[in-house]
Formats: sequence, C-alpha cells, structure tokens
Amino acid sequence: MSGDRKPASLAEALSLLAGAPEAPLLLAGGTDVYPARAVAEAWGRYAPRPVLDLSGLGLAGIEDRGDHHRIGAGVTWAALRDAPLPPWFDGLRQAARQVGGVQVQARGTVLGNLCNASPAADGVPPLLTLEAEVELASRRGTRRLPLGAFILGNRRTALAPDEIATAILVPKPAGETRSAFLKLGARSYLVISIAMVAGLLEIDSGRIAAARLAIGACSPVAQRLPELEAALIGARPEEAAALAAPEHLAPLSPIDDVRATAEYRRHAALVLLRRLLAGLAAPQAQGGSQAA
Amino acid sequence: MAETASATHVRHGSSIGQPLTRRDGVLKVTGQARYAADNHPPGMLHAALAVSSIARGRVAALDVAAARAHPGVVEVMTPANRPPLAQDPDDKNGPFVFRMEALQDDRVRYAGQPIAVVIAETLEAATEGAALLAPRYEAEAVETGLDASDVFIPQMVGPGAPAEARHGDVEAGLAAAERRVEATYETPAQYHNAMEPHAIVAAWEGDRLTVDTPSQGLAWAQERIAGLLGLPPENIHIRSPFLGGGFGSKGVISGPQVLGILAARLVGRPVKLVLRREQMYGPVGHRGPTRQTLRLGAGEDGGLTALHHHVRTATSRFDDFLEPAASVSHTLYAAPAIATTYDAVRLDTGTPLFMRAPGEASGSIALESAIDEMALECGMDPLEFRLRNYAEVEPMSGKPFSSKALRECYAQGVARFGWAGRPLQPRQMRDENGLLVGWGLGTATFPALMFQGQARAVIRRDGTALAETGAHDMGQGAWTALAQLAADSLGLEIDQVEFRSGDSRLPDAGIAGGSSHTATAGIALHHAGADAIAKLTELAMADQRSPLFGAGNMGVVARNGRLLRRDDESRGESYADILTRAGLAEIEGRGTGAMDPAVPEHYATHSHGAVFAEVKIDPELGQIRATRLVGAFAAGRIVNPRLVRSQYYGGMIWGVSFALHEQAVMDKCSGRVMNANLGEYHVPVNADVPSLEAILVEEHDPHVNPLGIKGVGEIGITGTAGAVANAVWHATGVRVRRFPIAIEKLLV
Amino acid sequence: MARIHVTTTINGEPMEFLCEPQQSLLDALRNNLGLTGTKEGCGTGDCGACSITFDGRLTCSCLVLAVEAEGHEIGTIEGMAQGETLHPLQRKFLEMAALQCGICTPGVLIAARALLEKNPDPTETEVRFGLAGNLCRCTGYDKIVRAVMETAAEMRETAS
Repeated sequence: MSGDRKPASLAEALSLLAGAPEAPLLLAGGTDVYPARAVAEAWGRYAPRPVLDLSGLGLAGIEDRGDHHRIGAGVTWAALRDAPLPPWFDGLRQAARQVGGVQVQARGTVLGNLCNASPAADGVPPLLTLEAEVELASRRGTRRLPLGAFILGNRRTALAPDEIATAILVPKPAGETRSAFLKLGARSYLVISIAMVAGLLEIDSGRIAAARLAIGACSPVAQRLPELEAALIGARPEEAAALAAPEHLAPLSPIDDVRATAEYRRHAALVLLRRLLAGLAAPQAQGGSQAA
Repeated sequence: MAETASATHVRHGSSIGQPLTRRDGVLKVTGQARYAADNHPPGMLHAALAVSSIARGRVAALDVAAARAHPGVVEVMTPANRPPLAQDPDDKNGPFVFRMEALQDDRVRYAGQPIAVVIAETLEAATEGAALLAPRYEAEAVETGLDASDVFIPQMVGPGAPAEARHGDVEAGLAAAERRVEATYETPAQYHNAMEPHAIVAAWEGDRLTVDTPSQGLAWAQERIAGLLGLPPENIHIRSPFLGGGFGSKGVISGPQVLGILAARLVGRPVKLVLRREQMYGPVGHRGPTRQTLRLGAGEDGGLTALHHHVRTATSRFDDFLEPAASVSHTLYAAPAIATTYDAVRLDTGTPLFMRAPGEASGSIALESAIDEMALECGMDPLEFRLRNYAEVEPMSGKPFSSKALRECYAQGVARFGWAGRPLQPRQMRDENGLLVGWGLGTATFPALMFQGQARAVIRRDGTALAETGAHDMGQGAWTALAQLAADSLGLEIDQVEFRSGDSRLPDAGIAGGSSHTATAGIALHHAGADAIAKLTELAMADQRSPLFGAGNMGVVARNGRLLRRDDESRGESYADILTRAGLAEIEGRGTGAMDPAVPEHYATHSHGAVFAEVKIDPELGQIRATRLVGAFAAGRIVNPRLVRSQYYGGMIWGVSFALHEQAVMDKCSGRVMNANLGEYHVPVNADVPSLEAILVEEHDPHVNPLGIKGVGEIGITGTAGAVANAVWHATGVRVRRFPIAIEKLLV
Repeated sequence: MARIHVTTTINGEPMEFLCEPQQSLLDALRNNLGLTGTKEGCGTGDCGACSITFDGRLTCSCLVLAVEAEGHEIGTIEGMAQGETLHPLQRKFLEMAALQCGICTPGVLIAARALLEKNPDPTETEVRFGLAGNLCRCTGYDKIVRAVMETAAEMRETAS
C-alpha cells in the first residue's frame, strides 16, 4: 500500500499517526498481523490498511531503570528469553519459550502480544503477576496504564487512535522472589493454550510476604486471583498449593470451545495452579515450563 | 515370451533389498528439487482464488469492476467469462471421476468453493484484487454432522465396493454368544494437509498445454484434463517430478487446478495458481467422518461367534465418496458370521476423497477398540484374544491368504516391546513421576492391490540402460525403489541405469495410491527389463559368433551387464558387444504391471502387522503422551528397507495423530471448517512424537505378483490408531469412543 | 505500482531487488529472486517450511515483509552448501534418509543449523522442541531428530 511508512523516530511516528487520514495498522514483529491478514485474504475479506512499521524506532532494548525494568516495544520473545534477567522474570521467560515455535519467538514482540489482546495471549498472565504497566505515547504526551486497565476485553485495548504503545514497565519486587508459568495445550508444542497459570511469590523469613497469581485462557482477559493471593500471605511456600481451592477461581469465566469445555478449563486451572505453587515452594527443582 | 522372461531372468537382490539412500536426496537437501510452484515460465501471471465464505446458496453479486480496476490486475474470471469446457465438470463419465467446481454456475455447495479467479502481474495484486470482489450471497441453511436429515443407504462404498456384505448368520451368532459387546465409535472429518499446497503452473501453446502440478495419477489427470478441454490427451503434458506429499489429495485433478488452466487460456499467458492453506479445506478432498457400531459375540472360550460392523458416514450433497470403514472387518478376525453395512448422510461440504488408508484407518481404530473390549469381557489378554481368533483364511471370502506372517509380527513385536507381564486390568501401572502408564495393541492390515502400469526399458550399445515410467514420488521414494527394481530387471548396477519418471509423456505407471505403486510400476519395469534382456538373448543365441549361440532360452542369465550361460558362467558376453556386433544402437523392451486376474480369484492379498503402544497420562489433567511405539509389519518383499521404515514411521505417527490429534471442526451455522489452518488443525509436531521402532518381518509371497511385493505406505496407520486408543484405556480405565480422544474425558 | 528498492545480503552475497510494499519476504525470495528452495506451507507462521535466518536468527519468511530485509542478512537453503560441498547436516540427512517428500526439508535444515549454532550439544528433548516449529506431514520426525543429533556429535568431534 502506498500509505505504508517506516518512521525513524518516535516523534515522526506520532506525527504520522496524528495526521493519518485512515488509522494505520501498527506493525512490530508481524506474527499476529501477517497471519490475520493471510486468513482474511484466503476468505476474500482482506481490506488493506496502511501500515505504520515501528521497527525503526529503536525501541528494542531491555533496560534496568533502577526501580523498574523497561521492555521496549521492539523486544522480541527470543530477546527476552535469552536476556540475563532477575528471577522474578522466570515466569515470563518460561512463557517466552512456549510462544509458537522458535521462528515466531524470533519476530514476535512481547508488547505486541499484549496489544493483540487475545484471551490466550501467553504474555498477559506473567506480566499481570509482575504488576506491569504499559507506556503509551502520543503527541499529547505519555501515559502509563496498569496492564489490567490496558486490556479491556477480547482483542480490545485502551490504546487511543493517536497512541503507540512504547514499552512495558516492570517494577522490581521487594526481597526474595520466585516466579513461574505453566501452560496446558492439546499438543506438546505450538499450541493455543487451554489454560495457563502464572505466579510470583515474595518470600520473607520463610513466609509468603506477597503473592500474585493470574490465569489465562479461562476468561476474555487473564485474571488475577485476589482472594487466593490474600490467603497465601503469611503461609509457608510449601503450604501454598494446599490452600488453593475451587472458590478462588471465581474471577474466571471459562467457555466451551473447540479446545476444551468450561468445566475442564476450571479444573485444569486449579490443577495447574497447585502445581505451580508446589513448584515455587521447591525452587531448586526445575520450575518446569511444561504442565506435565 | 513368458518363458523367455523367466528363463533369462536375473538375480534379485543386487539392488532390490538394499537400503540405498534417496536418489532425489541431494536435490531435496539443497533446495534444488523443483516442485510445481517453483516453476516460473517467462511472462507468467499469478492467479488468486476467491472462495465462498458460505457453505450453501448462490453468489448474488461480485464487484468484478473493482477487482479489474486494481493496479496490476489483468483479468477476473467468473462464470460469466470463463472459457468454455467440452464437458460439464459435473458429468460423471467414468470411474474415479469426481464432480468439481470450475465456475460452471453461481451455485455454492460448500465453504471454500472457488467463486472467481483474479489474475494479475503479481501475487500481491491478484490477492488484493480478489479481496475487492466483495461477494454478496444468497445463503441457504446448511447441514453438518452425522445426524443430518435424509439418511440413505449407499450401493457402493470407497472406490466401488458393495456397501453390504454378509457371511453367515450374524444375528444367530450374536444370539448364541455367551459374551456380547456393542459399542459405537466416532471418527471426525480429517484433511490431508500435505505440506505442499496444491499448485499449478499452466502454459498454453495453441491447443497444446503444459502443466506443472503435483499428481498421484498422471494418466488419470491427463485424461481428465483432456476430456474437460475437448483435446486429445497427447496435447496435455503434465510434469510432476516431485510431490510435496499427497496422501490421496492429489489423486484426482481438482477444480482449482482446472481453473488455473482456464485462467491461462483466458489471458493467453502462463498462469500460476497456488492454493492457500486455508483453501485446502474444501475443494481437494478429505476423509469423511464416521460413526461405527460394532456388535460382537463370543463364546466362553473367547472364540468370536459373530461380528457386525455398521458404518454411518457422510458425503457431499452433490457427489459420492463413502469412507469404506467396515472393510477391515472382512479380513482380520475369524468370526463364522460377519456382516458389514452402511448408511450415510449428505452434508454441505466438499466431497470426501481417499485419504491415506481410506476405510482401513477409520475402521481399524473402531474394530481394534471393540476387539479389546471383547477381550476384556472374556477376561483374556488382548493378544491372546487376537490369536484365539486368528484368521487362517480370509473370513469373509474363505480364500487363503497369498501370504500372512501376522503371527510372526505379533511374536516379534511382543518381544521387542516387552508385552509380557502386562496387567489385564487397567490403571495398574505408573511411572516414576506418577503418570499413568498404559499398553495397547492393534492389528494392522491393508490390502495388497495393483493398478495397471506400463514401462519401457532400453539397453544401449554403451552397456548402460534407460528405464522409464510415469511414476509418482510423493515422498515414499519411487525415484529410488523403482530405479532399484529397474536395475535388477536389466542385470545392471543402479548407476548404469538412467531412470526417468514423473512425466505424462512416459508410459502410464498407474496410480500412486492404495499402497500399490511400487508393485504396479515396479513390475512393469521388471517386465520391461526382462523383455529387453529376452530380445538381447535371442539376438545373441541366434548369432554363431556369440558364446551364447545355441544356449537355449532357459540357458542364459543376465548379470552385471553381461549375458552368461547358466551351465558355464565363464562363457558369456557383454550387452555392449552383442549390440555392437548386431549393429544396433539399442534394444527396447516393454512391460506391464497388473495383478493377474487369477490371483484375487484364488487368494486374499493383504499386508499385516502388529503395533504396540505405550502412553503416559497425567492423572489430574488427562494430558496424553504416546511414549513408545513398536510396529512389526509383514508386507512381502521389501525393496528398500530404509525407505520402507520411513513409510512405516510416517504411518504410525499418522495413527497417533488419528487417535489423539486430528479433526476438522465444523461450524454448525456457517458450515465452515473452523480450524482451517495448521495452527489449529493439529498434526503432530516433533515434540509429540515418541520413540519409534518398525520391525520388517520377513515374508515371502509367492502368489501376489511375480516379485512378491505388497504395499507399505498406508498400513502403519491401521493398528497404530487402535493400539494408542487401547493403551489410553489401559492407562486410565476410561474407554473413549470418540476420536481424537479429548483429554478431559479421561478424568475420573 | 510503486515498487520499492531493497538492498540486502543473501547467503553472504550483496543483493538488490524490487518488491511490492506488502510483499512477504518469502514471496520476494521465490518470485523476484528465483530462490525457490524456501517453500510455502501455510503463510501464517504455523509450519516452518519457509524458515530462513534473518541476521542469524531463525524466522519464518512468510512473517517478514520483503522491504524489512533492507540492510539485513538473510540466509536460505541455497546458501547452506559451499559449492559442491554439502553442509554436515545435509550430508547426514541424506545418509540417514531423514527426508521424504522434501517440502519441509529446507526449512528443517535451516532450523537445525540455527539450533546447532546456538547449542552445539543439544539433548534429544532440546532438538525435538527446537524443531517443533517445523511441521513434517510425512512425519519423518524420528529420523530428523536422530540425524540432527548425529550431526551435532560429528561436528563437535571435528571442532575439537
């Protein structure tokens, strides 16, 4: 399309965006954009939109900013997977290893996964447990939204038409932290999740000082489990798995679909949750990215 | 002629039986093997298919003007301007002729049906143009699923077998039985999903057409295209040196391929049309779904008294292909009374087609499950029960088997797998991680068929030879195995034989289907080589200057490029010398490969095997991993063990996939396949595949054909699918009768 | 139509081509540059048949626009052998018959090379998961995995 642009700076990108007569498609890694286009083309539904390619903006860095890490919009799953990062990123990195094949990890970006806002987005549960924020830039200025406020629903986000999501900001937790991620699919690999669980524990003097847990693919947007998180505070990590109970899954609203029934999803989420907590209690054992 | 051929006949085993590596291998590992879509003749245009997003109704409007106005678009082909055909594509004018959609009208009969073709200078422009057509439809209500209305009883199933077959009195057998099992199993629609999408590059020169397209049946394709276009077959030249997999889906010419040809005719330039993956879930066939009810009776001693295998299947609303799922019950177990019956419904889908092990794959998983259910009922080990009901003759026909080393398959598989000590009851075994472990067994079987094929062999004055037949290499290894057969037939080393294949101008090699290709084309080559050798022998024997003079027809043997006296191998001479002295540049032989009609009259011809599977199941999540598979197969003479093992492995993984992964999911409202892509239509990935072993059990078949070759390409699925299903039961105690097995059903 | 001029490096050779703005790199390799060794299996990043390396990283060329190749280094199957000398992986695939129809083979080889460059001593599980993005419908997985493992062992021996 003649409207395609590849700006060399954020300022240029924002001014192009502000002046665009037709909302362009924001392109980062392309691993969601191109397949969606291919499917639309195959069914004759393709309505070409001009593309604003963000790969020239120099946003591909992971930076330690003192009290938080900044993951730029261009950071791919492969870059995150291979970066030396503190243990609270373990869960997110386990997710990174399971996003599509190696080929997709090399191109797909973490922030793109959030912007695509699929209920089965692998990045969302771990980033919810990291209490990540999304940084949004426009010519009007820059704002930050907690991830839970950024994703509004199935494939809906709070991104305004003149905004570009520029970074994920991950605050540093206090003290000893452990994190993990588990994903369940019907095939061993290259699967769209039936259910996935992410968890992060802050440990102080052998007790859980803070717990953050999130479940994906069991509701339009991945959900935190505040009641269970509260119940875990003060417990020893090895007691955590036994504390997880069906009623803690109240925030979930799983559906029946091709991949599984709602009932099974609810059951699997609880099993995965308990396994994840058991794994976090024994961090020397392999945290295990596979559910089984 | 026949005596001469056997008289001079050649030793086997110089090439046949050797594990030669692939002769097409270098081309394939370097990316130089040229598949259909890799062709790019000068002036070529790209075509994009526009397909229907409704499953039934008519196309009310297309914005052809918008598409045509798009930069780069050269032409838009719709029913209004599609060049005429000499035959209605809906005419059924022969066996194996399927109705196709070639823009003959505005009707839509399934989702994904071609409704227009946009031809442009670039693929991008064609694709964008196709999207501008913005079709409007008049949609009608669709029917999906096996409970659709209008059930009918078909006359024929599969490629032409009677739908109803009875032997003995099943009802009496069931009534007399001490043990009875009645169970209903369901298998879904599956799509071939060869990794290479169907592609065609068509170039016209006057009324002559050159086509690059993957084909499992060059002569059929040539005939079909010629018929549709009203041209003599020799005007149609099809090149198909490599297929990126076929599995049946490239066995007949499909509508999109014909549309590629018509697009080239319309614009007067070569055109390339490649199906997108999503477009392969409609016009190029699929395995029809089944619901199979098995009724078994057995006596106190575990001997079957009756077996009734009833199949409900589905075909399209406009044509017939009925998955012959019950045929497996004709062969495998020695019940005194057997009945196989069918009924079917019509759905708004593309017409089903043969897909790797058509009938046997679907039928085997049901029969093998039911046999296990009956073994349990009788309190017998699944293997013991199968041996108790071992068919010494084909139970349905009473004919002896041309060969059947199934007992040996069981024995070798049992030993290798370590079946002994398997607990009879389920849910008895766990691994060190607490996973449930189960072992299952399935008997594999597939008929040994032959089509008819021709070949030509030429011995040249320089002592080398040419062998040719229009065979098809879908990956199974025809380039290698057939060259081995040709070399042996000519008494030459394989490097001395130039082997030509994959082209419609070569002798018709029959169809690469029904696991029959090596037998059919191989025996044609065998006879062609023998014919050339026989002619050469006659030449030598008639010549006083030859050391073979007067040796007599039976007295000569061909080896290493020389004819030798059988009684004194020191006396002989080279092919080159014979031809040189005779002043001939070359000598030609021709041969046919086909099953002797007397063989099926007297014998049942099948390959057999036994597959043992281990699965591990997460007791809390139901997640299943196949962890170990051992298959032991007996399929007559093995031409190339290395390639045959690959075929068995491939079939076995298809079996795992059948039991655990594959299914097309239809949207009940729209009639569309909801998972029409490789992300959601699950085929196994590397990480799903267990440790595999395929044992090649020795079997000599003196009857099936002169070389004793049976088929290996499809049998691996049969047996394996049931073995995995039975292992899942053994691990969990849950008998899931709908495939692929949903993990959530395993939670108890 | 405005075509875009792209300057890139393919298999170590500087290369220039013209492409459409929306054209995939896969399509440009195959149709504009005649490098048809890279195959299309799905167009949606689900099968790995079109695997290439992009600045050394394994990528599906159907998920990259041709214009994105500007200034980058692309590696395809055509660059895997050095003249007549096959790469050890290619040799081993031939020797062990780790291919059948051959359509997935170029992508599998590119993926296997990328895997071994990063991890010269992979476990079988690492190979199985490392190649999980490459589908093979002939399902020759077992032979593929064994061929990659054996090549890795051989290459380690040669290197030491």
